[in-house]
Amino acid sequence: MFVWSIAVRNLRRRRLRTALTVSGIVVGISMMFILLSLVSGMESQARSMVRALGGADIIVSNSTSFRNGMGGPLGALPSPSTLDESIVDAIGGIQGVYAISPQFSFSCSINGRRITVYGVEPKSYEIVTGGLNIAEGRFLIENSNREIVLGKALMEFLNLTVGQTVSLNTGQEGREQTFNIVGVFETGMFFQEYAAYITLADAQNITGEYGLITQILVKCEDPSIVNDVASAISSTVPGVRVTTPTAVLQQANQMLNTLTMFFATIGLVALFAGSFGVVNTMMMSVTERTREIGILKAIGAKSYDIMKIFLAESLLIGLIGGGAGVAAGSILAYLFPTLTSGIFAIGISPFGMRNPFSGAAGRGWGSRATSAIIFTTPAITPINIIVCFSLGAFVGILAGLYPAWRASRMRPVEALRHV
Amino acid sequence: MSRLIVRTVDLSKVYRRGKVSVLALRNVNLQIAAGEIAGIMGPSGSGKTTLLNLIGGLDKPTNGRIFVDGVDITALGERELADYRLKKVGFVFQFYNLIPTLTALENVEIPLALAGVPKNERRERALNLLKMVGLEDRAEHKPDELSGGEQQRVAIARALINNPSIVLADEPTGDLDSKSALALMNLIKDLNRRNGQTFIIVTHDPIVAERCTKIYTIRDGQIESA
Ligand SMILES: Nc1ncnc2c1ncn2[C@@H]1O[C@H](COP(=O)(O)OP(=O)(O)O)[C@@H](O)[C@H]1O
Ligand SMILES: [Mg+2]
Repeated sequence: MFVWSIAVRNLRRRRLRTALTVSGIVVGISMMFILLSLVSGMESQARSMVRALGGADIIVSNSTSFRNGMGGPLGALPSPSTLDESIVDAIGGIQGVYAISPQFSFSCSINGRRITVYGVEPKSYEIVTGGLNIAEGRFLIENSNREIVLGKALMEFLNLTVGQTVSLNTGQEGREQTFNIVGVFETGMFFQEYAAYITLADAQNITGEYGLITQILVKCEDPSIVNDVASAISSTVPGVRVTTPTAVLQQANQMLNTLTMFFATIGLVALFAGSFGVVNTMMMSVTERTREIGILKAIGAKSYDIMKIFLAESLLIGLIGGGAGVAAGSILAYLFPTLTSGIFAIGISPFGMRNPFSGAAGRGWGSRATSAIIFTTPAITPINIIVCFSLGAFVGILAGLYPAWRASRMRPVEALRHV
Repeated sequence: MSRLIVRTVDLSKVYRRGKVSVLALRNVNLQIAAGEIAGIMGPSGSGKTTLLNLIGGLDKPTNGRIFVDGVDITALGERELADYRLKKVGFVFQFYNLIPTLTALENVEIPLALAGVPKNERRERALNLLKMVGLEDRAEHKPDELSGGEQQRVAIARALINNPSIVLADEPTGDLDSKSALALMNLIKDLNRRNGQTFIIVTHDPIVAERCTKIYTIRDGQIESA
């Protein structure tokens, strides 16, 4: 129909005005888009963080987070503070505890790349967490010696295959040992895959920290008693931090919902402002083309036809604004980590989020947890693209409704008197 | 005398602007036979445009009736009137007749598009009419690339495209030089002879008046002579 030709050509005829009007929408949509992408990024990170915590119901760690300061640059993490192995029995005796698995995690260099290494007891680890997702080879077995399971991304980065050996180095004098790669695990999150698993005994051996552990993973008899067991642990074992991942996830979700609302409000306000530009432009367009409306009505156009012509025009403004807004937002989202990495390196460092989450049920750690998730990589999701693009179109239509209605209501005789 | 195409009965129009009201037409009883080229003349402000707009279904009379082909158009609702304008009548105005963003061909196509005629047929019929008004080589030109006379001929082509019974023209040569005016009138006469369409032309122009089959003079909202 000629409706689209008229709309497109009128927009082209007034390029500058169209560009200015569209840019009002672009600002709103791109803002909305980057904010929603940030929330999506946080969401996926929050989910993977909880996944990184494993399937354990409760994680017990030392109440002081780190042993040796803040660690090095990106990817080099400080090692967690230790606990004495004796508390394993103390926790194991608490009512409602189904199984426990001690773990020793430390920062270590593997073939020159610094990663986090987890020393675990294979059997109890699988009982408590449900085990790792093994992509190739196998997981550790009980009492195995100098065996290691590496993340898929790390394997690819270091160009390793199952059956080869790697050298672990804790950085301390004479603490370099060789391990056989027996398996590869996969999580889908590349930063989680920059990690390795060895047996607890091997971990204590390479670090020299015999009799010490960094975390105890606890599985409860029933998911409904997790909170009760957690508080029982805090009260019976002094000096530990007790974390419940589900509580953390709930807290994170709550925070993300608030953030989404907040960001969406900001975006909508910007969009609202932009939509006034569209209304204004469309009103101008209607006034300028009064005579045209009169002619069209005189030759038989119905009110509905006139309405379509102007709605098509404002819809086009909305579509272009939505498209350009999504594009601009994507670029911003893409650049975002680069723009902010210098300031918030800790937030995006692999596994950095594990420690902030080890607060007693997250309490008092809100700000740390928040900073760890906020400054993350925005996720450009199809949903966000569709939502923002449609929002542009929707705003276009909405802003065009009144002007188009005004145009359609013009009486032909009056319109024709206008030159 | 042949069949009547337009008949007005005691037609009156009052324009109200706040407290001021203007009696633009008073008890006009006009009869126009099918196939005429009727000229409507009269001083400025006498009600010529008002009469034409009422016959064309662009406005509603204050009083009286208008029969076109036996149908009382004053009884039609807004949508029916739009349909009447689309199919029964064609309009040509003094100037700025065309949609400036559309080409000559597209302008001629509009009424067909409004009537839901498919694109291919639209093209063909519009091109035929452009050929008939001698502008087939101007089909892709925009209105501002056409002369005043050419624009008016495109407007005539557009007015004719749905095969209306009547073409209403309000001072169609008002903005044209005498040569273009003459060409336009010759075209109208030619079309009238070939297709038998009725033309009702409001004009001041002697070139037009001389070529009408009948002249109606209107003064102070009343028909003076028939
Ligand atoms: N929409 C209107 N509102 C008020 N007065 C009008 C309107 N249209 C026309 N008139 C008045 O009605 C009278 C007839 O106008 P019109 O039919 O345009 O005359 P003509 O075409 O013969 O010059 C004039 O006095 C004019 O001012
Ligand atoms: Mg007039």
